[in-house]
Amino acid sequence: MQTLIANAAQQASQNISGIPAYSEDVSIWHQMSNALHQSIYRVLTLLIAVLPGILAFFVALVVFTVAGAAISSILRRTLTWIKLDLRIARKGGTDWSPSTSPTDIIARASFWICVVLGLIIGVSAFDTSYATGTALPISLLPYLTHAVGAALLLIAGIIIARFLARSVLISAVNAQLQYSRFLSLGVKWLVLVLTAAMVLDHLQVGGNVVELAFGILFGGIVLTLSLAVGLGSRDLVSRSLESRVEHTGERMHIPDEPANTSSSIRHF
Amino acid sequence: MATANPIPDDTSIATHATADLVVFVTAMAAEEFKGTLANLEATFPAESIIVSTQNALPADFQTPLRIVPLPQTNPLWMLKASDFVAAAQCGLEHEAKAILILGPGADSLSPLSLRRLAEAVLTASIDLVVPHYSIAAHAGLINSAILYPLTRAAFASRVRFPLSIDLGLSTRMAERLAAVAQRVPPFSQSETLLWPVNEAVAAGFTLEEVDVGARSLPQPSDPDVNSILALVTGSLFADLEAKAALWQRPRRAPLIRRPQAEPTASGGTADVPRMVAAFRLATANLQEIWSLVLSPNSLLMLKRCSVLEAAEFRMPDNLWARIVFDFLIAYRLRTINRGHLLGAMIPLYLAWVAGHINVTASGTPAERHIEAVAAAFEADKPYLVARWRWPDRFNS
Repeated sequence: MQTLIANAAQQASQNISGIPAYSEDVSIWHQMSNALHQSIYRVLTLLIAVLPGILAFFVALVVFTVAGAAISSILRRTLTWIKLDLRIARKGGTDWSPSTSPTDIIARASFWICVVLGLIIGVSAFDTSYATGTALPISLLPYLTHAVGAALLLIAGIIIARFLARSVLISAVNAQLQYSRFLSLGVKWLVLVLTAAMVLDHLQVGGNVVELAFGILFGGIVLTLSLAVGLGSRDLVSRSLESRVEHTGERMHIPDEPANTSSSIRHF
Repeated sequence: MATANPIPDDTSIATHATADLVVFVTAMAAEEFKGTLANLEATFPAESIIVSTQNALPADFQTPLRIVPLPQTNPLWMLKASDFVAAAQCGLEHEAKAILILGPGADSLSPLSLRRLAEAVLTASIDLVVPHYSIAAHAGLINSAILYPLTRAAFASRVRFPLSIDLGLSTRMAERLAAVAQRVPPFSQSETLLWPVNEAVAAGFTLEEVDVGARSLPQPSDPDVNSILALVTGSLFADLEAKAALWQRPRRAPLIRRPQAEPTASGGTADVPRMVAAFRLATANLQEIWSLVLSPNSLLMLKRCSVLEAAEFRMPDNLWARIVFDFLIAYRLRTINRGHLLGAMIPLYLAWVAGHINVTASGTPAERHIEAVAAAFEADKPYLVARWRWPDRFNS
């Protein structure tokens, strides 16, 4: 019995010692290495596929920008030499500011036309080369195009917000509203919030959460303003409406005096 | 209510007639038109003039004047571009030597005034005759604050009312104004103002100012000062922008002796606190916008003005001149949106009005103060010319 047990133990120990101790590790590293190699291969393949396109894009942009600068410079010198501004001013009786003279406008237009042309040709080249690499799944490049659109949206939103804020501020100050700055800031942030929501939506970030949050925020601001106007200026609004109704019939006549000034002051 | 009939058929012969003087009467209320015709009858022999009008002759009104009907339009408070075209055409058709344009409310012009306006063109061979109205001390304030001083500084013209609604024109002056008016797009003909004085100076024509006494001036249908100031000042700024090459040349304004009779200052001080409050509110809120337009020195002076009590409030003449020049430069450079720019000017204009009322209330005749403002504009013209040519820097 003891010999049987001893034999079994010996066999077991032999079996254990017979299996290579690193065989599992080698398999994992091998798998990881394979995965990394394949990933690098995919990325490099994609880069190789799109790199000529990127290079073509930049080359086209640089070449056309340089060409545009050259054409613009030649045009500017030629038009200055033939005194185009002076001729037009004499003919039309108009004086031009330095930044809006016909020469400057033509020179700048030619430059930017070349730049835009280079941009279109570059994008076209990039598009062609990218189409060959679309077999490789990658989500970064389409996302980049969305990012460009979102950036344009953001810029437009900021410009509109500033314009509207300024309009509201000036109108409110001229209407002698004490809370002019508050109104202006409110309008500015309303537009900026709207822009931010549109940008996030364009980037497909946040999904429904952004829409929901924007709806709540925007609705809340509008409701707050409505309540503020409705409750705070109730009398003012009713008086204004009443006076409008009363004066509707008098609008056909030219008034003798402005209504918002005293009898002794006439601005015109 | 008087029924308005078309012009009687027998007057249509006037379309083929000739006369030395053609009187162009713009659209106005029926009573005003009747009064104007009565004054014309009293001033000129019926056979010596032709009246061309956009008004319908009331049925119960008989006149020996030869009347040429024109398509009727709605009355406006100013002369519109199409009026100049129509007036020039009438003058040409009737081989007139002089054209008299009469705006709304012309019935308040005396026969003597009408004669003076016409004779200056007919006998003295003046190309443009502009009336000098006697108005109340606190009337025509946009004209006194901006139009007159700026026109005087730029074109060296002492015409007190550059945007007059009654004019005497020679045929060549009428043709020039019509040519300018025809360049205006049709859709904006009723909103575009023409500046006859500027055109006369640009063309090298002779112009003269004639004292016509008191006249009721029609007011804009929209009495809001914001829209009036933006319309009138924006139009003058645009005209100055178009004629920059002309007014940058140095000129000397002719000396004109005006009648010493001063209209008495009549009230208005009640409005001063409101206008000063509007200015203070703007000082607190529009600094960001003003700083894009005005020089640091002007901003500092405005801040000092804003702490003055309403009764003590004054806008220094040189500061006001500098403000208007800076706004003109910003208008030309489009530093900010032009609508915003002119909107931001309104509180400053109200501040000038408040200061002007205080000055007149202290005993200084209104005309003397207005002349002092105009002199300040003239004195500071080198600044305007310098910044027009090199706009990127504030000289002081």
